[in-house]
Amino acid sequence: MSTAAPAAAATASQVALRHRRSARRLTQGQLADLREAVTRAQAIGDDRGYQYWAGIHGLPEPMYCQHEESPYFLPWHRAYLYFFEKQLQDRVPGVTLPWWDWTKDHDQGIPPAYARATADGKKNPLASSPIQRRGRRDPKETKTWRHPAGPNSPWLPSPRQLDRVIRGNRDFITFQVQLEDIHNGIHGWVGGTMGDLRVSAYDPVFWAHHCMIDRAWYLWQLEHPGAGATLPADYLDSALPPFRMTVRQTLDVTRLGYDYAAGTAAVPGTSGG
Amino acid sequence: MVERFHSKPLELPKPGHRFERADLVFYDTDHSGPTFEARIFIGAKPGLKSDAGVDHPAYAGSYHVFGHGGCYGEAGHCDIPVERDPFDYRPRHHLEPGVQVVTVTEAIERLVANGKEKAAVDVFALDPDGSPLKALSFSRLRLLTYA
Repeated sequence: MSTAAPAAAATASQVALRHRRSARRLTQGQLADLREAVTRAQAIGDDRGYQYWAGIHGLPEPMYCQHEESPYFLPWHRAYLYFFEKQLQDRVPGVTLPWWDWTKDHDQGIPPAYARATADGKKNPLASSPIQRRGRRDPKETKTWRHPAGPNSPWLPSPRQLDRVIRGNRDFITFQVQLEDIHNGIHGWVGGTMGDLRVSAYDPVFWAHHCMIDRAWYLWQLEHPGAGATLPADYLDSALPPFRMTVRQTLDVTRLGYDYAAGTAAVPGTSGG
Repeated sequence: MVERFHSKPLELPKPGHRFERADLVFYDTDHSGPTFEARIFIGAKPGLKSDAGVDHPAYAGSYHVFGHGGCYGEAGHCDIPVERDPFDYRPRHHLEPGVQVVTVTEAIERLVANGKEKAAVDVFALDPDGSPLKALSFSRLRLLTYA
Protein backbone atom coordinates (compact mmCIF):
# COMPACT_ATOMS: atom_id res chain seq x y z
CA MET A 1 0.00 0.00 0.00
CA SER A 2 1.38 3.36 -0.93
CA THR A 3 0.23 6.40 0.98
CA ALA A 4 1.22 10.00 1.48
CA ALA A 5 2.31 9.22 5.04
CA PRO A 6 5.64 10.47 6.40
CA ALA A 7 8.68 8.36 7.06
CA ALA A 8 8.00 8.51 10.79
CA ALA A 9 5.36 6.30 12.38
CA ALA A 10 2.09 6.85 10.56
CA THR A 11 -0.87 8.01 12.57
CA ALA A 12 -4.19 9.45 11.59
CA SER A 13 -3.10 12.92 12.68
CA GLN A 14 -0.25 12.88 10.19
CA VAL A 15 -2.59 12.77 7.21
CA ALA A 16 -2.51 16.55 7.14
CA LEU A 17 1.28 16.70 6.84
CA ARG A 18 2.56 18.83 4.00
CA HIS A 19 5.50 17.77 1.89
CA ARG A 20 8.46 19.90 1.07
CA ARG A 21 9.58 19.06 -2.43
CA SER A 22 12.65 19.45 -4.60
CA ALA A 23 12.77 22.88 -6.24
CA ARG A 24 13.67 21.11 -9.48
CA ARG A 25 10.63 18.85 -9.43
CA LEU A 26 7.77 21.18 -8.62
CA THR A 27 4.73 20.89 -10.85
CA GLN A 28 3.65 24.01 -12.67
CA GLY A 29 0.81 24.39 -10.20
CA GLN A 30 3.03 24.03 -7.14
CA LEU A 31 5.47 26.56 -8.54
CA ALA A 32 2.68 28.98 -9.41
CA ASP A 33 1.35 28.69 -5.84
CA LEU A 34 4.79 29.39 -4.39
CA ARG A 35 5.25 32.44 -6.59
CA GLU A 36 1.81 33.70 -5.70
CA ALA A 37 2.48 33.25 -1.98
CA VAL A 38 5.79 35.13 -2.18
CA THR A 39 4.23 37.90 -4.30
CA ARG A 40 1.42 38.37 -1.80
CA ALA A 41 3.84 38.30 1.15
CA GLN A 42 5.96 40.96 -0.56
CA ALA A 43 2.90 43.19 -0.79
CA ILE A 44 2.39 43.22 2.98
CA GLY A 45 4.32 45.82 4.94
CA ASP A 46 3.63 44.60 8.48
CA ASP A 47 4.84 41.62 10.51
CA ARG A 48 3.16 39.16 8.16
CA GLY A 49 5.15 40.29 5.17
CA TYR A 50 8.21 38.98 3.38
CA GLN A 51 10.37 41.95 4.30
CA TYR A 52 9.67 41.57 8.00
CA TRP A 53 10.58 37.88 7.93
CA ALA A 54 13.70 38.35 5.83
CA GLY A 55 14.80 41.04 8.27
CA ILE A 56 14.70 38.73 11.28
CA HIS A 57 17.83 36.94 10.07
CA GLY A 58 20.09 39.97 9.76
CA LEU A 59 19.38 43.62 9.11
CA PRO A 60 17.63 45.60 10.45
CA GLU A 61 18.85 45.03 13.98
CA PRO A 62 18.46 43.05 16.11
CA MET A 63 20.13 40.25 14.17
CA TYR A 64 18.69 36.98 15.43
CA CYS A 65 20.33 34.34 13.23
CA GLN A 66 22.52 31.67 14.78
CA HIS A 67 25.79 30.92 12.99
CA GLU A 68 29.52 30.54 13.68
CA GLU A 69 29.30 27.10 15.25
CA SER A 70 26.37 28.17 17.40
CA PRO A 71 24.77 25.07 18.90
CA TYR A 72 21.45 26.56 17.80
CA PHE A 73 22.27 26.80 14.09
CA LEU A 74 19.98 23.97 12.95
CA PRO A 75 17.13 24.35 15.47
CA TRP A 76 16.98 28.12 15.00
CA HIS A 77 16.77 27.89 11.23
CA ARG A 78 14.19 25.10 11.42
CA ALA A 79 12.00 27.37 13.55
CA TYR A 80 12.67 30.28 11.16
CA LEU A 81 11.59 28.29 8.12
CA TYR A 82 8.55 26.96 9.98
CA PHE A 83 7.22 30.41 10.87
CA PHE A 84 8.03 31.87 7.45
CA GLU A 85 6.30 28.96 5.72
CA LYS A 86 3.26 29.52 7.93
CA GLN A 87 3.10 33.10 6.66
CA LEU A 88 3.23 31.84 3.08
CA GLN A 89 0.48 29.33 3.85
CA ASP A 90 -1.67 32.19 5.17
CA ARG A 91 -1.32 33.74 1.74
CA VAL A 92 -1.78 30.53 -0.30
CA PRO A 93 -3.04 27.54 1.71
CA GLY A 94 -1.05 24.35 1.29
CA VAL A 95 2.08 25.93 -0.17
CA THR A 96 5.40 24.61 1.15
CA LEU A 97 9.01 25.68 0.89
CA PRO A 98 10.97 23.65 -1.68
CA TRP A 99 14.58 22.52 -1.19
CA TRP A 100 17.47 23.15 -3.53
CA ASP A 101 19.69 20.10 -3.76
CA TRP A 102 23.03 21.79 -4.41
CA THR A 103 24.86 18.45 -4.48
CA LYS A 104 23.40 17.78 -7.93
CA ASP A 105 22.95 19.49 -11.31
CA HIS A 106 26.01 21.67 -10.84
CA ASP A 107 25.93 22.54 -14.54
CA GLN A 108 22.52 24.07 -14.01
CA GLY A 109 23.50 25.91 -10.83
CA ILE A 110 20.63 27.71 -9.17
CA PRO A 111 17.36 25.90 -9.99
CA PRO A 112 15.52 27.45 -12.95
CA ALA A 113 12.49 28.12 -10.74
CA TYR A 114 14.66 30.66 -8.91
CA ALA A 115 17.03 31.67 -11.70
CA ARG A 116 14.66 32.73 -14.47
CA ALA A 117 14.12 36.46 -14.54
CA THR A 118 10.54 36.11 -15.71
CA ALA A 119 7.75 33.61 -15.27
CA ASP A 120 4.51 33.55 -17.26
CA GLY A 121 5.37 36.89 -18.76
CA LYS A 122 5.83 38.55 -15.37
CA LYS A 123 8.79 39.27 -13.14
CA ASN A 124 9.76 36.10 -11.29
CA PRO A 125 9.38 36.83 -7.56
CA LEU A 126 11.83 34.00 -6.79
CA ALA A 127 14.66 35.54 -8.83
CA SER A 128 15.07 38.71 -6.81
CA SER A 129 13.52 40.61 -3.94
CA PRO A 130 13.44 44.22 -2.84
CA ILE A 131 15.43 45.00 0.33
CA GLN A 132 13.64 47.26 2.78
CA ARG A 133 15.34 50.56 3.47
CA ARG A 134 16.36 49.70 7.04
CA GLY A 135 17.64 46.28 5.94
CA ARG A 136 20.23 47.52 3.44
CA ARG A 137 23.95 47.15 4.03
CA ASP A 138 24.41 49.77 1.33
CA PRO A 139 21.76 52.45 0.68
CA LYS A 140 22.11 51.83 -3.06
CA GLU A 141 21.44 48.08 -2.79
CA THR A 142 17.67 48.23 -3.18
CA LYS A 143 17.19 44.64 -4.32
CA THR A 144 18.94 41.29 -4.09
CA TRP A 145 21.46 40.13 -6.66
CA ARG A 146 23.61 37.05 -7.25
CA HIS A 147 27.05 36.33 -8.62
CA PRO A 148 27.27 32.53 -8.76
CA ALA A 149 30.67 30.92 -9.23
CA GLY A 150 31.13 28.25 -11.89
CA PRO A 151 29.85 24.65 -11.89
CA ASN A 152 33.29 23.27 -11.05
CA SER A 153 33.73 25.40 -7.97
CA PRO A 154 34.93 23.42 -4.95
CA TRP A 155 32.40 25.39 -2.93
CA LEU A 156 29.62 23.19 -4.33
CA PRO A 157 29.55 19.88 -2.42
CA SER A 158 29.18 16.50 -4.08
CA PRO A 159 26.53 14.00 -2.94
CA ARG A 160 29.38 11.99 -1.39
CA GLN A 161 30.56 14.95 0.67
CA LEU A 162 27.11 15.53 2.12
CA ASP A 163 26.58 11.82 2.64
CA ARG A 164 29.83 11.63 4.57
CA VAL A 165 28.72 14.42 6.88
CA ILE A 166 25.33 12.80 7.46
CA ARG A 167 26.47 9.20 7.89
CA GLY A 168 29.87 9.84 9.39
CA ASN A 169 28.81 11.80 12.45
CA ARG A 170 26.60 10.33 15.13
CA ASP A 171 27.39 13.24 17.43
CA PHE A 172 24.89 16.02 16.74
CA ILE A 173 27.18 18.95 17.45
CA THR A 174 29.94 17.62 15.18
CA PHE A 175 27.39 16.94 12.45
CA GLN A 176 25.96 20.43 12.86
CA VAL A 177 29.37 22.12 12.60
CA GLN A 178 30.30 20.18 9.45
CA LEU A 179 26.92 20.84 7.85
CA GLU A 180 27.24 24.53 8.67
CA ASP A 181 30.53 24.60 6.79
CA ILE A 182 28.83 23.22 3.67
CA HIS A 183 26.07 25.77 4.23
CA ASN A 184 28.61 28.60 4.38
CA GLY A 185 30.11 27.48 1.07
CA ILE A 186 26.73 27.64 -0.70
CA HIS A 187 26.12 31.16 0.55
CA GLY A 188 29.51 32.14 -0.83
CA TRP A 189 28.98 30.27 -4.09
CA VAL A 190 25.72 32.10 -4.83
CA GLY A 191 27.48 35.34 -3.94
CA GLY A 192 26.03 38.84 -4.06
CA THR A 193 23.36 39.35 -1.42
CA MET A 194 23.45 35.68 -0.41
CA GLY A 195 27.13 35.94 0.39
CA ASP A 196 26.56 38.35 3.27
CA LEU A 197 25.03 37.13 6.50
CA ARG A 198 23.35 40.48 7.18
CA VAL A 199 21.16 40.51 4.06
CA SER A 200 21.15 36.96 2.69
CA ALA A 201 17.58 36.14 3.80
CA TYR A 202 16.15 38.75 1.46
CA ASP A 203 17.16 36.57 -1.50
CA PRO A 204 14.30 34.12 -2.22
CA VAL A 205 16.80 31.32 -2.89
CA PHE A 206 17.92 31.62 0.77
CA TRP A 207 14.79 29.72 1.79
CA ALA A 208 15.40 26.91 -0.69
CA HIS A 209 19.02 26.66 0.46
CA HIS A 210 18.05 26.45 4.12
CA CYS A 211 15.28 24.02 3.33
CA MET A 212 18.01 21.72 1.96
CA ILE A 213 20.01 22.23 5.15
CA ASP A 214 16.92 21.37 7.17
CA ARG A 215 16.40 18.30 5.00
CA ALA A 216 19.99 17.19 5.63
CA TRP A 217 19.29 17.40 9.37
CA TYR A 218 16.09 15.38 8.83
CA LEU A 219 18.12 12.73 6.94
CA TRP A 220 20.70 12.71 9.77
CA GLN A 221 17.88 12.12 12.27
CA LEU A 222 16.68 9.14 10.23
CA GLU A 223 20.24 7.81 9.95
CA HIS A 224 20.96 8.13 13.68
CA PRO A 225 17.72 7.47 15.55
CA GLY A 226 17.97 8.35 19.20
CA ALA A 227 21.20 10.29 18.80
CA GLY A 228 19.47 13.50 19.90
CA ALA A 229 18.38 11.88 23.17
CA THR A 230 21.87 12.38 24.57
CA LEU A 231 21.63 16.17 24.29
CA PRO A 232 21.47 17.96 27.66
CA ALA A 233 18.07 19.07 28.92
CA ASP A 234 19.08 22.71 29.34
CA TYR A 235 20.06 22.76 25.67
CA LEU A 236 16.84 21.09 24.54
CA ASP A 237 14.78 23.50 26.62
CA SER A 238 16.56 26.59 25.31
CA ALA A 239 14.39 29.17 23.59
CA LEU A 240 15.07 30.21 20.01
CA PRO A 241 14.34 33.94 20.01
CA PRO A 242 12.42 35.67 18.59
CA PHE A 243 10.37 32.53 18.10
CA ARG A 244 8.18 31.04 20.80
CA MET A 245 9.75 27.65 20.32
CA THR A 246 12.42 25.61 22.08
CA VAL A 247 15.09 23.37 20.61
CA ARG A 248 13.09 20.35 21.76
CA GLN A 249 10.05 21.53 19.84
CA THR A 250 12.01 21.58 16.58
CA LEU A 251 13.25 18.01 16.75
CA ASP A 252 10.33 16.23 15.07
CA VAL A 253 9.31 17.77 11.76
CA THR A 254 6.06 15.81 11.71
CA ARG A 255 5.00 17.73 14.82
CA LEU A 256 5.62 20.88 12.84
CA GLY A 257 3.29 19.61 10.14
CA TYR A 258 5.68 18.78 7.34
CA ASP A 259 7.81 15.99 5.98
CA TYR A 260 10.41 15.53 3.28
CA ALA A 261 9.30 12.01 2.33
CA ALA A 262 6.56 12.33 -0.24
CA GLY A 263 5.29 8.79 0.22
CA THR A 264 5.96 5.52 1.97
CA ALA A 265 5.06 1.90 1.40
CA ALA A 266 4.85 -0.57 4.28
CA VAL A 267 4.15 -4.27 4.81
CA PRO A 268 3.79 -6.17 8.09
CA GLY A 269 7.02 -7.41 9.68
CA THR A 270 7.75 -10.70 11.43
CA SER A 271 5.37 -9.88 14.26
CA GLY A 272 2.62 -9.20 11.77
CA GLY A 273 2.09 -5.66 13.10
CA MET B 1 44.10 39.89 8.46
CA VAL B 2 46.23 38.13 5.90
CA GLU B 3 45.68 36.43 2.56
CA ARG B 4 48.00 33.58 3.35
CA PHE B 5 49.34 31.75 6.35
CA HIS B 6 52.45 29.55 6.36
CA SER B 7 53.02 27.66 9.60
CA LYS B 8 56.09 26.42 11.31
CA PRO B 9 56.45 22.68 10.76
CA LEU B 10 53.91 20.67 12.73
CA GLU B 11 55.05 17.39 14.24
CA LEU B 12 53.26 14.50 12.54
CA PRO B 13 52.22 11.23 14.20
CA LYS B 14 54.99 8.65 14.48
CA PRO B 15 54.69 5.77 12.01
CA GLY B 16 53.66 3.39 14.80
CA HIS B 17 50.98 5.74 16.11
CA ARG B 18 47.72 4.45 14.69
CA PHE B 19 44.90 6.90 14.26
CA GLU B 20 41.46 6.79 12.67
CA ARG B 21 40.99 10.49 12.28
CA ALA B 22 43.15 13.59 12.15
CA ASP B 23 41.77 17.11 12.59
CA LEU B 24 43.32 20.51 12.11
CA VAL B 25 41.78 22.88 14.64
CA PHE B 26 41.95 26.64 14.06
CA TYR B 27 41.26 28.71 17.18
CA ASP B 28 39.78 32.22 17.41
CA THR B 29 38.89 32.39 13.75
CA ASP B 30 37.58 35.73 12.55
CA HIS B 31 34.31 35.99 10.65
CA SER B 32 33.68 39.71 10.79
CA GLY B 33 34.62 40.41 7.17
CA PRO B 34 33.77 38.81 3.81
CA THR B 35 32.61 35.28 3.07
CA PHE B 36 35.58 33.16 2.07
CA GLU B 37 37.10 29.71 1.75
CA ALA B 38 40.18 28.88 3.79
CA ARG B 39 41.96 26.39 1.53
CA ILE B 40 44.46 24.24 3.40
CA PHE B 41 47.56 22.46 2.19
CA ILE B 42 49.90 20.32 4.27
CA GLY B 43 53.45 19.46 3.36
CA ALA B 44 53.48 21.41 0.12
CA LYS B 45 56.77 22.05 -1.64
CA PRO B 46 58.10 25.64 -1.59
CA GLY B 47 56.54 27.93 -4.16
CA LEU B 48 52.93 27.02 -3.49
CA LYS B 49 50.68 29.71 -4.97
CA SER B 50 47.18 30.85 -4.13
CA ASP B 51 45.77 29.40 -7.34
CA ALA B 52 46.61 25.86 -6.24
CA GLY B 53 43.40 23.87 -6.55
CA VAL B 54 41.74 21.14 -4.56
CA ASP B 55 43.36 18.64 -6.93
CA HIS B 56 46.84 19.70 -5.74
CA PRO B 57 48.66 16.74 -4.12
CA ALA B 58 49.16 18.68 -0.88
CA TYR B 59 45.54 19.82 -0.60
CA ALA B 60 44.11 18.69 2.73
CA GLY B 61 40.72 20.36 3.11
CA SER B 62 38.87 23.65 3.46
CA TYR B 63 36.64 25.53 5.80
CA HIS B 64 34.16 28.18 4.76
CA VAL B 65 33.32 31.37 6.61
CA PHE B 66 29.94 33.05 6.17
CA GLY B 67 31.07 36.58 6.80
CA HIS B 68 29.37 39.47 8.53
CA GLY B 69 30.67 41.88 5.91
CA GLY B 70 32.11 44.45 8.27
CA CYS B 71 30.74 46.65 11.02
CA TYR B 72 27.48 48.47 10.34
CA GLY B 73 26.44 49.74 13.78
CA GLU B 74 27.39 52.81 15.73
CA ALA B 75 30.60 53.24 17.70
CA GLY B 76 31.20 50.21 19.94
CA HIS B 77 28.57 48.03 18.24
CA CYS B 78 31.10 45.52 16.99
CA ASP B 79 33.37 45.59 20.04
CA ILE B 80 33.52 42.12 21.52
CA PRO B 81 33.12 42.18 25.32
CA VAL B 82 36.42 41.48 27.05
CA GLU B 83 34.89 40.10 30.22
CA ARG B 84 31.60 38.39 30.81
CA ASP B 85 29.59 38.41 34.02
CA PRO B 86 28.86 34.81 35.09
CA PHE B 87 25.20 35.79 35.43
CA ASP B 88 25.07 37.24 31.92
CA TYR B 89 22.75 34.88 30.06
CA ARG B 90 22.46 37.02 26.97
CA PRO B 91 23.55 35.39 23.71
CA ARG B 92 27.24 35.74 22.95
CA HIS B 93 28.35 38.63 20.77
CA HIS B 94 27.86 37.91 17.08
CA LEU B 95 31.49 38.59 16.31
CA GLU B 96 33.07 36.44 19.00
CA PRO B 97 35.78 34.40 17.27
CA GLY B 98 35.02 30.82 16.34
CA VAL B 99 36.77 27.47 16.15
CA GLN B 100 37.14 25.67 12.85
CA VAL B 101 37.78 21.94 12.69
CA VAL B 102 38.89 20.42 9.39
CA THR B 103 39.30 16.68 9.11
CA VAL B 104 42.53 15.97 7.24
CA THR B 105 42.97 12.26 7.88
CA GLU B 106 43.91 11.28 4.33
CA ALA B 107 46.48 14.03 3.99
CA ILE B 108 48.20 13.11 7.25
CA GLU B 109 48.15 9.41 6.43
CA ARG B 110 49.78 10.19 3.09
CA LEU B 111 52.57 12.22 4.66
CA VAL B 112 53.26 9.64 7.37
CA ALA B 113 53.32 6.87 4.76
CA ASN B 114 55.93 8.87 2.85
CA GLY B 115 58.15 9.00 5.92
CA LYS B 116 57.54 12.66 6.79
CA GLU B 117 58.04 13.59 10.45
CA LYS B 118 57.06 17.24 10.19
CA ALA B 119 55.06 19.29 7.72
CA ALA B 120 54.10 22.94 7.38
CA VAL B 121 50.52 24.04 6.85
CA ASP B 122 49.62 26.62 4.22
CA VAL B 123 46.26 28.36 4.27
CA PHE B 124 44.88 30.70 1.61
CA ALA B 125 41.77 32.87 2.01
CA LEU B 126 39.88 32.87 -1.30
CA ASP B 127 36.63 34.29 -2.60
CA PRO B 128 34.30 32.07 -4.69
CA ASP B 129 36.08 33.14 -7.87
CA GLY B 130 39.41 32.01 -6.42
CA SER B 131 40.80 35.49 -5.80
CA PRO B 132 42.85 35.99 -2.62
CA LEU B 133 41.26 37.98 0.21
CA LYS B 134 42.81 39.56 3.28
CA ALA B 135 40.37 37.77 5.53
CA LEU B 136 42.38 35.15 7.39
CA SER B 137 42.89 35.49 11.13
CA PHE B 138 43.22 32.91 13.90
CA SER B 139 45.26 32.63 17.07
CA ARG B 140 46.46 29.04 17.07
CA LEU B 141 46.51 25.87 15.01
CA ARG B 142 46.65 22.32 16.37
CA LEU B 143 46.77 18.90 14.80
CA LEU B 144 44.74 16.36 16.74
CA THR B 145 44.63 12.64 16.02
CA TYR B 146 42.09 10.17 17.30
CA ALA B 147 42.77 6.47 17.74
